[in-house]
Amino acid sequence: MSAYLVTLVILVSVAALVGLALNLQWGLAGLVNFGVSGFVALGAYGVAITAPHIGWLPAMIFSALLCAAISMALALLSIRLEENYLAIVTIGFGEIVRILLLNEGWLTGGALGIADIPRPFAAITPPGGGDGVILAFAIALVALVFVLLELLVRSPFGRVLRAVRDDATVASALGKPVLALRVRAFAVGGAVMGLAGALHAFYLTYIDPSQFTPIITAYAFMAVIAGGRGSNLGLLLGAGSIMALLEATRFLKDLVPSIDGAQLSALRLGMIGIGIVLLLILRPQGLVAEPRRRATEFFPNAKGEG
Amino acid sequence: MAQLFLNGLVTGLLLALPALALTLVFGILKFANFAVGALLTFGAYAGFVANVQFGWPLPLAAAFAALCVALASIIADALVFERLRERGSITLLVASMGVSLVVENICRFFFGNAARSFDVTLARPIRWQGVRINHEQIVTASVVIVALILVHLLLTASPLGRAMRAVADNPSLAAVRGVERRTVARIAWALTGALLGIAGVLAGLDRAIDPLMGWNYQIPIFAAAILGGLGSPLGAVAGALMIGLAEEMSALILPTNYRQVVSFCVILLLLLFRTNGLFGAKAVRK
Amino acid sequence: MIENRETDALRVQGLRAGYGRGGDIVCGIDFAQRAESIIAVIGPNGSGKSSFIKTIAGLLPARAGSISVTGSDVTALSPARRVFAGLAYVPQEANVFRSLTIRENLKLATEFLRGRPGIGREQEERVLSLFPEIAARPRTLAGNLSGGQRQMLAFACALLANPEVLLLDEPSAGLSPKIVSQTMEAITRVRESGVTILLVEQNVSAALKIADEVVVLVAGRLSLRAPAKDVKPHDLASLFFGKAA
Repeated sequence: MSAYLVTLVILVSVAALVGLALNLQWGLAGLVNFGVSGFVALGAYGVAITAPHIGWLPAMIFSALLCAAISMALALLSIRLEENYLAIVTIGFGEIVRILLLNEGWLTGGALGIADIPRPFAAITPPGGGDGVILAFAIALVALVFVLLELLVRSPFGRVLRAVRDDATVASALGKPVLALRVRAFAVGGAVMGLAGALHAFYLTYIDPSQFTPIITAYAFMAVIAGGRGSNLGLLLGAGSIMALLEATRFLKDLVPSIDGAQLSALRLGMIGIGIVLLLILRPQGLVAEPRRRATEFFPNAKGEG
Repeated sequence: MAQLFLNGLVTGLLLALPALALTLVFGILKFANFAVGALLTFGAYAGFVANVQFGWPLPLAAAFAALCVALASIIADALVFERLRERGSITLLVASMGVSLVVENICRFFFGNAARSFDVTLARPIRWQGVRINHEQIVTASVVIVALILVHLLLTASPLGRAMRAVADNPSLAAVRGVERRTVARIAWALTGALLGIAGVLAGLDRAIDPLMGWNYQIPIFAAAILGGLGSPLGAVAGALMIGLAEEMSALILPTNYRQVVSFCVILLLLLFRTNGLFGAKAVRK
Repeated sequence: MIENRETDALRVQGLRAGYGRGGDIVCGIDFAQRAESIIAVIGPNGSGKSSFIKTIAGLLPARAGSISVTGSDVTALSPARRVFAGLAYVPQEANVFRSLTIRENLKLATEFLRGRPGIGREQEERVLSLFPEIAARPRTLAGNLSGGQRQMLAFACALLANPEVLLLDEPSAGLSPKIVSQTMEAITRVRESGVTILLVEQNVSAALKIADEVVVLVAGRLSLRAPAKDVKPHDLASLFFGKAA
């Protein structure tokens, strides 16, 4: 199997996990997270630092829990406020994580990062079969997270969240318990972002702060908007098509030889920006529209006006 | 100590313009514009083109930058924000992230990742009572103070300023009093664009111009605007001064790389204890 | 119902409107009003009264139908342009700019209507003579006024535009009974100065005292139109609830 294809599949898997997580937070719970890159970085550094000491599985669990706890704290701080505040706090968080990673060299290796991160099943992997194992691991992880999130969406928990998101009157009438549910969903989303970071670290076996720029956040938003807020299947399609699109732009260099590396990356990133804006304007419902349900379906006893 | 205080004041003044830009847009359109950092970067590059490539003197280059960013903001409003105005603040915020990416990468496409700087001769700093005052600091402080006075006069004593405050206060009432929200929004964008353009040039005097320079200001700008109570212009200026002081003074106990962390902590503390900002703007709880 | 097209100050035909992707709240209303009359729109909660008057003011886009003021079609105009065409609107409760002073509120009322006939010094003096307490305290923040004073300021601002038609959304909302009667009295004074008034009101007995005619709105449709003197408050109960079913 060609190494390029493996890289592509892993990239799509990480993007899919990040997208699924943001879809839960923003698409389902209605809580926006602009600090996605911070959570992914935290997840990656979490396993990179702990895996050599405690093994890969406990390290992944540690990363997920760490991200969940921090997301929960940020959400609790700002959830009672107008939604712009959570957005600002998460923007700030993403930047702060980057600064801490760069400057706390004793723990994170600073700008040099951390190398030699042990991969899962490294001990039982035949020599030269590493790519196959990590590939299977990535696909299994995405599948597992996808199934769990689908179950969550279909559970009463998910139905309440969706109802609340679609009907502000119900949300305010139900008050506090709903806030707690949304914070929980935000925390689960944070945990999944941590797992995505862990997968990233396991695959590359080498991480440094430059890998975790706000672009990760932009990709995730584009995937969610393209896939349609709230639809996990649409999200997978969205993440897949964005990655395909981005990879396709690599070949632009062959077509237009006068372009240099910085210009090429500028074009790619600018396209992501244009894509986000265009999708918001032209296809507010996403590529796969989620069936809309009315709140009254879930709260037969609640009567709302119009 | 006195030196840090002075540096803090100048840093704060530099932050005041973008914080004012953020809070003005928030007041009128009710969303936190993620693109302030990128537009500031764009202003720095516009100033760079005028100053280095056209060979214009810096004041003229700053005016050119203000004009360019004002135009860019109006275009962004016409193409993007206006079409999404009824779709809620988070949609607008996400859209502003998209706009931010586009603007940042237009700069990167034409100028690359290399750091640039203005063509200015370095003047000897003035020494006064043991405090070093840079030439750039004097320029920054005087430009910002003049700009702030002009904005203040515009807001309080002109029909346009009244219209902007009216739309911020109650948009549908403003509409039935004959004020076109669309026109006012456009003018507000132009004004914030001009402020960001000037701020970009001043920031370019303070540090190197590169496509990511705006990111260094993003958190302090948000912190200043929240500190002053989102939507309050006077609050934003006061908030900016306090954030500037806090960032510079923190150098006494923290490494300078952690200046942004200080701003972030200010945001967190404010959310914990005083969400209306220190200056008691109207509550923004749900 | 439609007697003379020339003298109708306000005409509405086949008007439909609603919010977002929801169904119609205003379901096909035909309505015409003679110049210098007061018509009260009443009806049960949720009957679409407020939406009706908001659609005329332009705050809620019309999905179908047309609106014209003194013969000229305003359906396609923005709310701000409708003011220019002679339509003034006083919303319920949030009817003044609280963070602006009285003086600034008054200034704003005409500042963006340059070129509309009949606004300026004289109109200002005329309007302020109707509401002397407002004129006396120009530097007070509007947010610090009492409910009744805010109502007067809102009326004054609307009238400064020298409107042909004044739309009032529940002018009695949140006011004490004494202030309600003062407000109603102010409305009749406004009519005497030559303005046509369409008012939505929950307080039926207060509205009946000043209106020439009453229209009853039930479930977004006109269900009755009658001279105010022929309508007894207790008759309305059966109308509100009987026909709603």
